[in-house]
Amino acid sequence: MRKLAVDVVVIGGGSTGAGVVRDVAMRGYSTVLLERADLGQGTTGRFHGLLHSGGRYVVSDPLSATECAQENAILSRIQAGAVEMTGGYFVTGPDDDPSFADKFLAGAAATGVPAQEITVAEALRNEPRLNRGIKRAIEVLDGTVDGWQLVWGAANSARHYGAQILTYHQVTKIDTVDGHVAAVHCKDLKNGEDVLIETGFVLNCAGPWAGQIAAMAGAHPVDVIPGRGIMVAMSHRLVNRVVNRCIYPADGDILVPVHTVSIIGTTDVKVDDPDHLEIEQAEVQQMFDAGEVLVPGFRKARALHAWAGARPLIKDNRVAATDTRHMSRGMAVIDHTTRDGLDGMLTIGGGKLTTYRLMAEHIVDAMCDKLGEKRVCRTAEEDMPVEGAGPNYVVTHRLHDREHDRLDDQIICECELMSRKMFTDALAEQPKGTFDDLRRQLRLGMGPCQGGFCSMRATGIALASEHIDIERATELLRLFLKNRWIGLWPILHGDQLRQTALDNWIFSGTLDIEHLPAAESEVVL
Amino acid sequence: MSRVIVIGAGLAGLVAANRLADGGAEVLLLSKGIGGLQLGQGTVDVLGYNPQRVTNPIKAVAEVAAEHPYATIGAQGVLTALGYLKELVPDLLVGDPEANYHLPTAVGALRPTCLAQPSMLAGNLKAGSSVVVVGLRRLKDFQPELIAGNLGRTELPDGGRVAARAINVDIAAREGEIDSSGLAFAHAFDVPAFRQQFADLLAPLLKDGEIVALPAVIGLKDRQAHSDLAAKLGHPVFEIPLPPPSVAGLRLNQALNARALAAGVRMVSGVRTVGFAADGDRILNVRNATVPAEREYRADAFVLATGGFEAGALAMDSYGTVTETLFGLPLVGTENTPLIHGDYWGAEQPIFSVGVGVDSQMRVLGNGKPVYANLRAVGDVIAGSTRWAEKSGDGVAAASAVLAADSILKEL
Repeated sequence: MRKLAVDVVVIGGGSTGAGVVRDVAMRGYSTVLLERADLGQGTTGRFHGLLHSGGRYVVSDPLSATECAQENAILSRIQAGAVEMTGGYFVTGPDDDPSFADKFLAGAAATGVPAQEITVAEALRNEPRLNRGIKRAIEVLDGTVDGWQLVWGAANSARHYGAQILTYHQVTKIDTVDGHVAAVHCKDLKNGEDVLIETGFVLNCAGPWAGQIAAMAGAHPVDVIPGRGIMVAMSHRLVNRVVNRCIYPADGDILVPVHTVSIIGTTDVKVDDPDHLEIEQAEVQQMFDAGEVLVPGFRKARALHAWAGARPLIKDNRVAATDTRHMSRGMAVIDHTTRDGLDGMLTIGGGKLTTYRLMAEHIVDAMCDKLGEKRVCRTAEEDMPVEGAGPNYVVTHRLHDREHDRLDDQIICECELMSRKMFTDALAEQPKGTFDDLRRQLRLGMGPCQGGFCSMRATGIALASEHIDIERATELLRLFLKNRWIGLWPILHGDQLRQTALDNWIFSGTLDIEHLPAAESEVVL
Repeated sequence: MSRVIVIGAGLAGLVAANRLADGGAEVLLLSKGIGGLQLGQGTVDVLGYNPQRVTNPIKAVAEVAAEHPYATIGAQGVLTALGYLKELVPDLLVGDPEANYHLPTAVGALRPTCLAQPSMLAGNLKAGSSVVVVGLRRLKDFQPELIAGNLGRTELPDGGRVAARAINVDIAAREGEIDSSGLAFAHAFDVPAFRQQFADLLAPLLKDGEIVALPAVIGLKDRQAHSDLAAKLGHPVFEIPLPPPSVAGLRLNQALNARALAAGVRMVSGVRTVGFAADGDRILNVRNATVPAEREYRADAFVLATGGFEAGALAMDSYGTVTETLFGLPLVGTENTPLIHGDYWGAEQPIFSVGVGVDSQMRVLGNGKPVYANLRAVGDVIAGSTRWAEKSGDGVAAASAVLAADSILKEL
C-alpha cells in the first residue's frame, strides 16, 4: 500500500475538480486530485463545447447569466489557448415567437450580458447556411471551448503549484474519526495498488457522482439528479459562430462549431445512473429536426458521432424532480458540518463548464472559512498558456502545424492530422493509457472515418514502441473500436453509414479482426 | 448484335461484362469510379466462416440458409464462376474450390479464402514454420510487430503453431518521401533495380529457413516481381494484403479490365448513373449525370452491379428509410429491426444484409415476380449475405454475374 498525506483531497477530475485543485494549490495547500478515469472523461468531455456568453440564461436564470458573462471574459483571457471566441447569434426561427427577442434584450441589459440586435441580412451574410426564414438575430459573445484543453490547463497549473493529479485512481472509502474526515482510500486501477491518503479536508467535486462520494463519508444522501443531454457532431463547421434559437431554453437549440465539426445539442432527461446514459433514437431525431430549423438541409449533412453527458444538478424542491432543465443551474456548495455533523468535507454541485473557475473559488472560499484562514483566490489573475496553435480556428491551421515536419513524420490519422511522433510522444508519457486516453489529446479517430484507417496503424506503432505487449495492443484495438461504435450507431445514416460499410470492409472483410486470438489472461485496460 | 449495359465495375460488373462479351453481346460498362476491387484483399472468397472456419467452401455453399444468395446460386453456379475467373486471369488466381487457404492478414489473423494470387501462397503456413514479417518504415499500413505478434499466438486451423518475428527495412519508394502509399511502393517494386536494392538490404537480416512476409506491394504491373524477389532473397516470400488502396485488389481490377477491353467491352467511367426510363416491365435506358446535360444509354438488357452501402448503391436516410438508389428497387431484409444495434462485437448488423431479392436468373424480384424482365442484379446489391464476416462477397459476385450473363445470352 502506498501512503500519502496532504492538506486537501479533491475528488473528481472534471472541470470542477481541476479548477478546485488549482485554486487549492495556488492558495498554498498541499493537495492531491483523485479521478477514477482520465481527466475530463465524465461530464466535462461530453458537452457541446459552448463557452456561454450568458445569453442562454438572460430570461430563465438571470444570476447564471451574469456569472457566465463574467467568467466568459475571465476564461477567454486566462485560458485563451483553450477557447475560440467565435461569437454567437440568437436567432428567431420562422415559427418562433418574435417577441421573445425583446425579453431577451431586456434580460441581457439587466444581467450585464453584452448583446445587440443585428439585421437578418447581416446574420445571413455572415452565416450563409442559416435558415433564410429567420425573423430576428441578436449578436452575443458566445465562444467555444475545448473541454479537455481547459481541464489539462488547470491541472497543469495545479501541478506547477505542487498538486498531484492521480488519474485512474478510484476512491473506495473515506475514513472519519470523531466526526471529522481523516483519510481517503483509493485504488490505482492501472496496477491494482491500494493508496491511503491522510488528510484533513475533502472537496467532493465528483459531479453526477458526488452523491456516491458523500455516501462513502457517511453523509446523508445528497440528491444529485443526473440530467442526461445528448449531442451530435456533424462533419464540417456548418456555421462559424455559435447559433442559438432565441426561445426559452429548450432541446436542440444550440449549434456550436468546435474544431473541425459542429455540435448540435442538447436534450435534458432525468436519469438514475450517470454511468449508463442511453442515446435514445427519439432524441437523435429531435436533434436532427432542431438542426433543420437552424440550417436547412441539416438531415442530409453528415453526422459523425453522438454522445451523452450527465449534468450534476442538485435537487431543488421548488421544481418537480423530473424536470431537470428548470432546476437551478447555479452552483450549490453543501456544508456537511451543519447537514450531517461531518467536519472536513464540502460537496459542490450544479454549475456549468463556463463557470468552473468561479465554482472552485466558492468552494475553496468556504473551506478557508471552515479552517478559519484568510487566503485569497488568485485564479482569475494568472494565465494558463497552451502550447501550439492559437485560439482561432482556420481551415488550414492543422496543415500549417504539420508543414515543418511533413517530410520527416508520417501522418497516422489523416482526418485529424495526427503524426506518428505526436502519438509516440503521448504514449511515452502515458504508457498505461488506452487509445481513448490518447484520442482525447490527439483527436485520434475523431474525424470522418472514425478510426477506420488509423486505429490499426496506431496499434502497431504502440506495440513497436515496446510500452505494451501484443495481448494488450490487440485488446486496446478491440476496445477502441467498441468505444467508437457507442457514439456511431445511434446516428448512422447517409454518408456515415457508407463510411461504416467501408470500415467494416477493412476490419472484418480484409483484416478478419474478429478472429484474432483472445488474450490468455485478463488484460487490465 | 444485342446491347447489354452493365452498371458498376467491381468484381461482379467486370465478370458480367467479360462473360457477356465472350458470349457475343455488345457490352457497355458504366461506372462511377474504378470499382470496389481495390477496397478488398485481392483474393476470391467463396465462404470462409459459417460461422465456424470453413475448410471446403463448395461443400459449405451447399449448406447455407434459404435466405442466402448461395441458396439460389447453388454450388454448381459457384464452381462454374470460379472456373471462368481462373480462365480470365490465369496468372493471377490459383486455388482449389474444395479447399480454402488460410492467409495472414495485416493484423495477423488467419483469413480463409478460396482463390489467391500466387504471390500470397507461401502464407498458407504449416505448423513449425518460421515467419519473418518485414515492415517498410515508410509504409504505415503494414505494422510488422502487430502481424508477427498475433501470428505467433495463433493456432493454425489444423493445429500447431508458427514462430514469427518482426523486422523493419528503411527504403524510400520515392526520394525524400517518408509517408508513401502502398501504390507508390508497388510502382517502385515494378522496377528490377529497386527489387535488387531492397533484396540487398533485407537478405543479411534473414535467418535460414525463414518464410518472408511482406506487404502486398511487390509490383503492380510486373507479374514476375514476386518470384524475382524471392529468387534474389533465396527465401519463400508471401504478400499480405493491405487496407485500401489495395495493390492486390488493383492487380485483379486491372487484369479484368484489360481482359474486358480485349473482349470488346466499351467503358464509360467517372460518371454516376442516376436515372432510367422504363416501359411497363422493361427498362429502356439509363442516364448518366454528365455535364452539362444528362446522357442517355439504351440497351436490351441491364445488369445492376453497383455494390452495397459502401458504394452508395444502397443508402439509408436520417429517418431510417433504406433505398436502392438507382432504380428504387424493392428491398429484402429491411424488416429485421433494429437494422443497427449497439453491440460492436456482437451479431452482424442487419442493415448490411439488406439488398434486392433475385430469382435463379438474377432478375430482381418484387411481390414474387421480376420487377423488370430485362434487369438483373449481381454482387453486393443482392440481399442475404454477411459478406465481410463470412468472407463470401467475391463468390456471390462472380457466381451471380455468370448466372446473370448466361441467362441474358440465352434470351438475346
